[in-house]
Amino acid sequence: MTEYEAIIGLETHIQLNTKTKIFCGCKADSWGAPPNSNICPVCSGLPGVLPVLNKAVVEKGAILAAAMHADIRLISYFDRKNYFYPDLPKGYQITQYDQALGSGGYFEIPMPEGYVRRVRIHKLHLEEDAGKTKNEQGRRLIDFNRCGVPLVEMVTEPDLRSADEAAQYLIRLRQLLRWLGVSEADMEKGHLRCDANVSIRVKGSKKLNTKTEIKNVNSIDAVRNAITSEIERQIKEVNAGRRVQAWTLDWDDETGKMWMMRSKETEADYRYFREPDLLPLQLDEAWVKGLIADLPELPLERRERFVREYGLPLYDADIITGSKVRSDYYSSTDASYGGDPKTISNWFINDILGMVNDLGITVDALNITPQYLGTILKMIDEKKINVATGKSLLKKVQETKQPPEAIVAAEGLGLVSDDAAIREAIQAVIAENPGEVKSFRDGKETLLGWFLGQVMRKTGGKADPKLTRQILVELLRG
Amino acid sequence: MALIDQTATEITQKIKQGELSAVDVLDSALERIRAVDGRPGALDDGIKSLEDEKKVHAFISLTEVRARKQAEEIDRRLQSGIDPGPLAGVPVTIKDIFCVKDTLSTAGSRILANFTAPYTATSAARLEEAGAVLLGKVNLDEFTFGSSSESSAFQPSPRNPWNTAYVPGGSSGGSTASVAANEVPLSLGTDTGGSIRQPAAFCGVVGLKPTYGRVSRYGLIAFGSSLDCPGPIARNVEDAALMLHVIAGPDPKDSTAFERVVPDYQEALKKDISGMRIGLSPDYFNITFPDPKTGELARQEIQEDVKKAVYYAAEVLAGLGAEIVEDVPMPNTAHGIPTYFVISRVEAASNLHRFDGVKYGYRTEKEGRDLNEMYRLSRAEGFGLQPKLRILMGMYVSAAQYSEQYYQRALRVRSLIRGDFEAVFDTHGSYRLDALLTPTTPTTAFKMDAVYGDSLLMQYTDQLTVSANHAGIPGISIPAGLDASGLPIGIQFLAADFREDIILQASYAFEQATKDEAWRKVKPQVLQ
Amino acid sequence: MSEEFITPEVFEHLVDLAAIALDPSQSDYLRGELNKQLKAINELIAIPIDESVPLAAHGVPYMQADAAPLREDCWEACENPEEILAQVPVSEDGYIVVPDIPHSDLE
Repeated sequence: MTEYEAIIGLETHIQLNTKTKIFCGCKADSWGAPPNSNICPVCSGLPGVLPVLNKAVVEKGAILAAAMHADIRLISYFDRKNYFYPDLPKGYQITQYDQALGSGGYFEIPMPEGYVRRVRIHKLHLEEDAGKTKNEQGRRLIDFNRCGVPLVEMVTEPDLRSADEAAQYLIRLRQLLRWLGVSEADMEKGHLRCDANVSIRVKGSKKLNTKTEIKNVNSIDAVRNAITSEIERQIKEVNAGRRVQAWTLDWDDETGKMWMMRSKETEADYRYFREPDLLPLQLDEAWVKGLIADLPELPLERRERFVREYGLPLYDADIITGSKVRSDYYSSTDASYGGDPKTISNWFINDILGMVNDLGITVDALNITPQYLGTILKMIDEKKINVATGKSLLKKVQETKQPPEAIVAAEGLGLVSDDAAIREAIQAVIAENPGEVKSFRDGKETLLGWFLGQVMRKTGGKADPKLTRQILVELLRG
Repeated sequence: MALIDQTATEITQKIKQGELSAVDVLDSALERIRAVDGRPGALDDGIKSLEDEKKVHAFISLTEVRARKQAEEIDRRLQSGIDPGPLAGVPVTIKDIFCVKDTLSTAGSRILANFTAPYTATSAARLEEAGAVLLGKVNLDEFTFGSSSESSAFQPSPRNPWNTAYVPGGSSGGSTASVAANEVPLSLGTDTGGSIRQPAAFCGVVGLKPTYGRVSRYGLIAFGSSLDCPGPIARNVEDAALMLHVIAGPDPKDSTAFERVVPDYQEALKKDISGMRIGLSPDYFNITFPDPKTGELARQEIQEDVKKAVYYAAEVLAGLGAEIVEDVPMPNTAHGIPTYFVISRVEAASNLHRFDGVKYGYRTEKEGRDLNEMYRLSRAEGFGLQPKLRILMGMYVSAAQYSEQYYQRALRVRSLIRGDFEAVFDTHGSYRLDALLTPTTPTTAFKMDAVYGDSLLMQYTDQLTVSANHAGIPGISIPAGLDASGLPIGIQFLAADFREDIILQASYAFEQATKDEAWRKVKPQVLQ
Repeated sequence: MSEEFITPEVFEHLVDLAAIALDPSQSDYLRGELNKQLKAINELIAIPIDESVPLAAHGVPYMQADAAPLREDCWEACENPEEILAQVPVSEDGYIVVPDIPHSDLE
């Protein structure tokens, strides 16, 4: 049985989160705006208009190229790619063809199985987005709001070897884009779009075979499913003695079916030529060097550091360094608390992240600052409150915005470690529940937990659990 | 002498001094237009009458209501003591290749016949801000493709005011005709291969192509993006200098507009030209002409009286102290047209992609078609033959398999053409010229219908002007006499990048030295 | 090997690229003119050009100081997007309406 391996390359289009479009002053983000409301003469391709390049697009593009370890060209050029499509008002797209902003580079993807896949980057270039079209009763409805939104197109070498790797590539890319602050990378809003090139070959072969292109796979799951499906299809074809053809395919994730798009016998002739309305893009060498030096610690670097410095398991570190704000929050909590990093990690992952999910915000928008969290953890360590109180404090701090110490003082939430008070509470519980006391004394020792719960209720949750359990045992066993 | 027969400089001075009102000047212009222009160009042009053949037909859209509002506003400002600007009250026409807000901006084409621009081109806006009164949009070759203005979809096309049996030249034929017929003192035209200078020569007016990037192209419906230059057309040099100063300068809406200060061109006019080194090149006295019978390229001398006019001008300038340098080689001049065929067509084909019937302009009425059919029919029905020709040639020479041998090659030849100018203008070179003096066109105006249809011959009339577009340098055409049949002869000055001051200076010197010559007293046919 | 002239097949391909529907009389005229012009253009091929001669995308060279600065990333709302929309031949609820694209072939 011949063993095949899959050869996959990805082309991603990344929408930059600048304020305005690449060549005009319209907003770059017009999600939810009425159709054709975020347009101007330039982006709607009126006769006589000219493009003017947005500085921030260059900055963000260069930052991304630097983070990909790409060579940043000091002089790059814009070109026209000519073709007809209703979402392309000028009838050409301004892009970068042969002398793009970035060339070469790599992106390392740690796989859950434990190995790292290094993907080489072929090129990174700047270009403008087209508008949106939708089908309606045999007509096309076109909205130019998105025309001219700045994109970085990143093309990888065919270094990926599985659908899972492709999915991980997108996951890590999305994380990096948000980390660098160059894109919101929300795939549902189309900030990150992907085309996959897939071919197969006999394992051990060095040759590259005909590839198919799967267009517009726009969610992580869709990428995984589409590529898996295509690899299977190609293997079937080859096993049946047929050749794989260079089709362009469209994946419908809802039905799990692949459609063939119109196959082009000849490749479209885009008649690329230098854009005469723009000057060559010249970058100052010192500026580029400074940009590279100023790059923040990247997500995987930070993850590795957290494992090393905090002694955290990889799983925890991965979640905590999922985004820059999260990892900053964690570090600040650590600075404030100074105690066991794993404790912070547990509270962070279980409680803090749970809370931000429910509230639909990010950790930096919490009223529970890292300092407050640190205080809560300290108070537990110092036995001023118990863990249950600590957890409920989180909610209270979030709602009232009051510092935790103030709430503890105001509501008298301090841990009851007073022996006498606990004894008193336990006595009351014993007196009120003779049946259970008898059961316990008759051997049902599992009821201890229940008794503990009862004492907690009696003390408003403030009893020191350890001490309570000790005294309970003492008094129940008689 | 009617009010409108005065120069722009005179008009604006008198208006600011309170001797004239802008409305009066406007009315004078309208009266002249009614007298000489005849019916404006229209899509459904009907049959040309004998009456038509005697008129100028410069206009497509006369925007009288808009103009009157502007004139009234100028007068109001003056009364309140506000200075309305350096062109206060001067009526101007705008070549209909510029978008002007709320006017039909047609490019002389059916495909934009119903297009009302929602914005104004920078160069036109600057004229308005300077107090000029925009009288309307004047006719042109369709999308500026041509050298006679005959290819417009709006017929009748403009005629030469000197003899209405002849073409005014093109593509800015409506502009130069409106100025030559004294309908307005100023017009805003464009020059891509000679489209200001050639019709200026044919119509006996001043036409200036600034350095590429000197005047913003924002709002100019593009033909050859690396070649197009908006520029002034006027009756005399002083007016051209005035208008250039108003429209020139950087523009945040045009990335190719140079960040350079605009000098005081009027200062330059008065400077003494003694010591100015002016070159004559034999390469500009012969042209390579496709033989109409055989199609073979042959070398021919230019029209005799055109040549004489240039030499006469050289004498006049020498008499004023200029140094005339003869036999200046410009060896790559003959390559100008083939190179232009390639570069301009590649850019034009791409620039015309946007006319697809989708979002503005003409869309085919034929129902029930799919999108591809809509494109094909809209473009077939909307474009005239000249745009189609340029689009197809553009496709061919930029197609992947031919791009290297045609387009890439042409860009190299362009460097060679530029090199000719750099060599002669080099201050440490063998010639150290301040300017070149050449004929503007190989012949004077030709008859209507004589050349149209022969695209090759038509293009070759630009041979003496096109090199300046390739090189980007500035050039001016000024009237220098009349030929044996009474048609105007134009001479051309060319200088280095951003030396519009030199060509204005030389032109002014010649103009002033010859101001009393008999030929300047002759009026165009329509004004007699 | 350069083409001496444009054959009807090549011409059809160009017409296809240009998205223009020509009738036969127009095709003949245009193809004839193109071939004439090509003859002139082929003159370009005869010029000896050194590899060192640069490609000039613009005639005038742009020095750094002459170049317009890049645009600041500040929102400039268009005053009249509705006037742009008013130029659309067929529109509905703010959308531009065109006939549908020929369907993709199905696998």
